[in-house]
This record gives sequence, structure tokens and C-alpha cells, in this order.
Amino acid sequence: MMYPWRGEFTIGSPNSQIAIDTLSSKMNFPPELVAIWGQHKTENLGVEKIIANVVSNPNIRYLILCGQEVRGHRSGQSLRALHSDGIDGNGRIIGARGAVPYIENVSAEAIARFREQVELVDMIGTDDLGIVLEKVKELSAARKEPFGEPIIMEFVERDKSSRMKSLTGKISIHKDLLVDPYMEVEIMNTEAEQC
Amino acid sequence: MLNFSTEQRILELGDIRLGGQPGELPTVLFGTAFYGKKFKSMDPEAVDEARKLIRAQEEMSQLTGNPAVVDVYLGDSETVAGRLDIVLEELPEKRFFSVDVPESAMRREVLRHASQVGISHRIILNSFNLGAEQEELEALKEHPPGCAILLGYNPKDFSVDGRIDMLESGAGIMEKGLMELAKEFGIENIILDTGATPFEHSAAETLRAIPVMKNKWGLPVGCAIHNTVESWLWMKQYRREHKSEYLTCDAGSNALPVMLGADFCIYGPIRNSGMVFPFVAMVDKFMAEGADDYFGVSQDDGHPRRKLT
Repeated sequence: MMYPWRGEFTIGSPNSQIAIDTLSSKMNFPPELVAIWGQHKTENLGVEKIIANVVSNPNIRYLILCGQEVRGHRSGQSLRALHSDGIDGNGRIIGARGAVPYIENVSAEAIARFREQVELVDMIGTDDLGIVLEKVKELSAARKEPFGEPIIMEFVERDKSSRMKSLTGKISIHKDLLVDPYMEVEIMNTEAEQC
Repeated sequence: MLNFSTEQRILELGDIRLGGQPGELPTVLFGTAFYGKKFKSMDPEAVDEARKLIRAQEEMSQLTGNPAVVDVYLGDSETVAGRLDIVLEELPEKRFFSVDVPESAMRREVLRHASQVGISHRIILNSFNLGAEQEELEALKEHPPGCAILLGYNPKDFSVDGRIDMLESGAGIMEKGLMELAKEFGIENIILDTGATPFEHSAAETLRAIPVMKNKWGLPVGCAIHNTVESWLWMKQYRREHKSEYLTCDAGSNALPVMLGADFCIYGPIRNSGMVFPFVAMVDKFMAEGADDYFGVSQDDGHPRRKLT
């Protein structure tokens, strides 16, 4: 399945070798020229979605980063840093300046593949559609071979906390927090009787 | 509606009281100022607009009884001094305010600036989180703010346990938990943000963590749950032609943490204060009546329950 991770993106031609991350800017492109494009808000989950979707289509060989940077998150700078230097042992994107730039849900293999598969074209700050389209046409002419087989990363639900059943007369919110609707009142009544 | 057996601490942040048992005190509402392209340049028109929005939030606070905190967005060095000066001019003396500083390097700069101008004791750092770099940790030690919001966001584990782990031990990412570090730095007032996550990323755990954290630590707990609404994919399309419906969901989301015992909500852009304050005041009235009827928790005359009869 191509582009297995849901997100705020539009799909164009699967044979195009260009993907475009427009960061906080809303932009649209001719679908016959671009494989996938969309906005990108966060420096962690957003980056993960881009990695997962790009490696699912080996035809994508260029990733254009354009549009206005996302304030605070620095999503564009974070993606650029990931492409350039990868992550450290804790999952932190090396050199990223965003708020919480950690990658935890995609494998090291997928990150390495992403960094190899695409050439990153840095146009952060450019939201002039004409200028970006010129670059798209230029890259379309510079054909590259598809990058091997697709890597399909299903979005895996995380392990759930140990579940518990509600006990009669009590509400379970979490394993460490049982709310007994009668206990407090009984204690208060006992205290009142003693007074 | 809820009552904790753990003693619930009430913080005195200038003239703002924060914490306690559910229904005891009004929910403290944080509105973010200076967020958006309009305020990037800080031209006279933008400054005037920012002042009006800060005053409007304060008026809503006076009306409902819900304490207001101005959350000052600080995204670049050039605007730090100017924005803080405006906020200091607008707020009552001694009033605390929060600084929303996403980048670690900027947080370090803001902490130093606050110390230089003698306002560290009024600062609520929003937030102390796992993104803190070594230089920021040193700045926190040297210039501790009067209060810090500790963020439970844990990219490895969005469950309640994962969020608690971040605060308690650093979740294997930081050497120590945020709680221990904040205490080492001498930050006197600690409040906890459960760390809102998007739908399909354990969004509800953001809410479930509220009573669990309150029960565990007895500290004020809250979150910015409107961020979950903002990141909702379907709504992103729908809101383009249904702005008021979006704003209803955005403001309405604040009912959820309050119902689960939250002490504060970071509700998003300060321009929404007119919608959020009456809404949360209404939820506070339910919570206060429930707390009084069942647990004997009383409220003073400044509570929305008493003010808005």
C-alpha cells in the first residue's frame, strides 16, 4: 500500500519522482508533476509520517522543502537536520532546533533508507508557487532510477496499558486510580458521628 | 464530581490561586498572546491589537472569576524584550504570566533576560520538557523561574504510564525526571501538563493522566487539549467553511480536562477568551456544585458558582 500513514496530503502521480513538503503554507501543484504534497506541522510525528510515506514509493527521489517555516516547531529545519545527520541514540534529531524533535515510531532502517532515497531540495521560506514549479520542472527533467523496493510501514498501535475491569460500585480510571464513590462519604459520615 | 484522597496543594502565584480539590477553585485559563503572523513585526497596529486582547482576557476573568494567565509566545530573540514590556505594562503588579518558548536555545535566552530585568519570580515557564538542552538546564539552575510547567510528553510512550515516566525518571531519554530536575533547580512552584497528543496517538490518555497525576503528586495538573482538536485531520477540512463550528469544538474541548479534575487549561489564542471563559465557568459551576453536594468542598464568593448566579 502506497502512503500508508494518514496525513494532510494530496496524492498526484505515483510515477513522479518529486514529493513536496509545504510546511505551514497551503500550496497546490499539478498532480501530473508531483507524487505527493502537503503541509507539515510538527517536528516529531509529522516528520515520521513523511519518512513512512516517502519510503513506500521508491519513485520519489526528490523532496522539496518549501513554504513558510512552522513557528516554534521548526518542522522544516528538523526534517532538514534529520536528512543531513540522522538521530542520536535517544531518538533525538541531531541538530534540530524544534521543540521536541524526537523520532520514535519509525525504524533506523527506514530513516537510513529515507536519507539515501531522496535528495532534499531546501527552499524553506519560498511560498511563491511559480518559483517552486520551476524547480519541479527542473527536477522532473533530471530523471533518477527508482530506489529499490518499497518499504511499507504499517502504523502500529502502541501497546495498551494493562486493562482492568470495573469493580462493582467502583470506577476504574487507571490501574493506579480506583474511584470508590462511597468510601469518602462513609469516612465523612463516621467523622461527623464522632463529633 | 471527583475527590482525591491525596492532599491537593494550592499554589499562590501572585494574586492567582491554582490547584486544590476538583471544584474548589476556579479553573485557571492561559491564553496565548502574540501568536500569529500579525504579531511578527510588532508594528504599532499589532501592539495595539495585542494590548486589546490582553485586556479583553482580563475583563473576561473579572466577569467570570476564572483567573487569567497571559501566555506570551516568544519565537525569536528580537521580540522578547518588547513583548515582555507590553505584558508587564498591561498586567496588575505581581501577576504571574507564562512564557511559551518552543525552542530550547530561546528558553535559555528568555530565562537570562527575565533575571536581568528582575521578573524571574513572576515567570511561569511553558514548558520544561525533554527538549531541554544542556545550556538550558544550566540557565534554569542559574535563573530559576518562579514557576514551571512540566510537560509529560513522552515520544516513546503516549500512555499515562509513559507520561508519568517522563516526569518521574526521564523515560530513558533524560538522565533524570523533569520533577527531580525542577526541584534541584529550586523552582518553587511546579505544575504539570499531561502533554496533549493528536487523535489516534492516545489523545484520551492526555485526559486520563489528569486524575492519575493529581492523585499521585497532589500538584496542579492541566493540559492544552485544544491542540488535539487543532490537529484533527477531518476538522482541518471542515473548518475551512465552518469556522464557528470549529471554534465551538475548540472551546468545548476545555470541558473535558476540567471534568476530570484539571486545575488549568491552556486554551490557545487569547482572541478566543470571550468564548472560552464563560464556557469553562459553566463547567466550573457544575464541578463546584458536585463537589459541595457530595464532598463538602466549598467555594468563595469569587468562584463562578457564586459570581454567575
